[in-house]
Amino acid sequence: MPAPNTPSHPVRSEFADDPDMADLVEMFVSEMPDRIGALETCLREQRLGDLQTLAHQLKGAGAGYGFEPVSLIAGRLEASLKTNAELDAINAEVNELIDICRRLTP
Amino acid sequence: MLAIDDSADVLRLLEVRLRNEDIELITATNPIDGMRIAAERQPALILLDLAMPVMDGFEALRLLKNDPRTVHIPVIVVSGSDDTDDKVAGFNLGAIDYVCKPFNMPELRARMRSALRIHALMHMLSQRAQIDGLTGLWNRAHFDRRLTEEVAARARTGKPFTLTLCDLDNFKSLNDTHGHPAGDAVLQQFAKLLTSMLRKQDIACRYGGEEFAIILRDTTAEQATHLLERIRESLESLRWPKHPERNVTGSFGVCDNPAGDAKDPAAWIESADRALYEAKRAGRNRVVISTAPPPTAEFRRAG
Repeated sequence: MPAPNTPSHPVRSEFADDPDMADLVEMFVSEMPDRIGALETCLREQRLGDLQTLAHQLKGAGAGYGFEPVSLIAGRLEASLKTNAELDAINAEVNELIDICRRLTP
Repeated sequence: MLAIDDSADVLRLLEVRLRNEDIELITATNPIDGMRIAAERQPALILLDLAMPVMDGFEALRLLKNDPRTVHIPVIVVSGSDDTDDKVAGFNLGAIDYVCKPFNMPELRARMRSALRIHALMHMLSQRAQIDGLTGLWNRAHFDRRLTEEVAARARTGKPFTLTLCDLDNFKSLNDTHGHPAGDAVLQQFAKLLTSMLRKQDIACRYGGEEFAIILRDTTAEQATHLLERIRESLESLRWPKHPERNVTGSFGVCDNPAGDAKDPAAWIESADRALYEAKRAGRNRVVISTAPPPTAEFRRAG
């Protein structure tokens, strides 16, 4: 697995070489700009409930598409939102999630 | 198999990952559609997400387990929450298993197989509990349930059905003369005869002792009589290794419209029983249709 914290380092799907999964992973990655946009909008407008839903969905799906770090980071963000963590911490975690989503590649 | 999940990502993933299994996957993106599909398509297994808009998975699970059409379908909760309270709530509502998202596919597949295995065993046990050990026909408990269902369906849809009570003639004397193994062989042979001559939708039960109950669906008493006459003749012509000199006959009482309250299963039994009694009194080895409602005086004269 690529080191998740290297900036601009692309994150490849674990299933990149699985022919059954190739199309699916590609579709998942191609939808990332929309999700990143949604994350940014929700963060800007401080819609924490919607942020939690987005995080929940990314946590549930990420690893299934071979992107385990997405599930981990999204899961942390979901937990922070659930426990009403400090806004600064939430901001940082959303940005971390956006960062990894930007680096996904099939 | 039915998967209910609001996340298209998860549903697409399941579709691809289960493609190579011998599983037909139906998907629903909300619990309302999911419950309707479950009732209509009767999947062998349901995968149910918890966090969904409109209605959460717990409520969907509760409704699935309260609907007689879906109560028997095993449900695996597949949830993003690994909270112990959620797991306990899921099991308490009747889930057969609980898997956390993101799920590991080999593990989910193994849990699905395990749920299907348990479900098949439970189905087998519940069937066994409703089958008569000696004859392999349905037992009295099953008959009582099915008669109640048929009576209710007739009241609702107006579709006819016929109830027949049948008693093997002079069975006690056969048992006394030739022994119980001979009697058992007669019961088993007659059960086999019934099974071979009835249609798939008909319900043959051992009502008790040497008495049998037969529900013929979508059939009037007149139509039933043709079939029952053939059964009566076949029984009469059977030859018995243990008592070749003695054949076995049966009497049949038939009812498709009982005296009294047609919505009351007991009224059906009573009418069929009365017709059976008439068949006995008239000399046995015959099929008699109950006349509804019989004037008491005439009934006495016939008896």
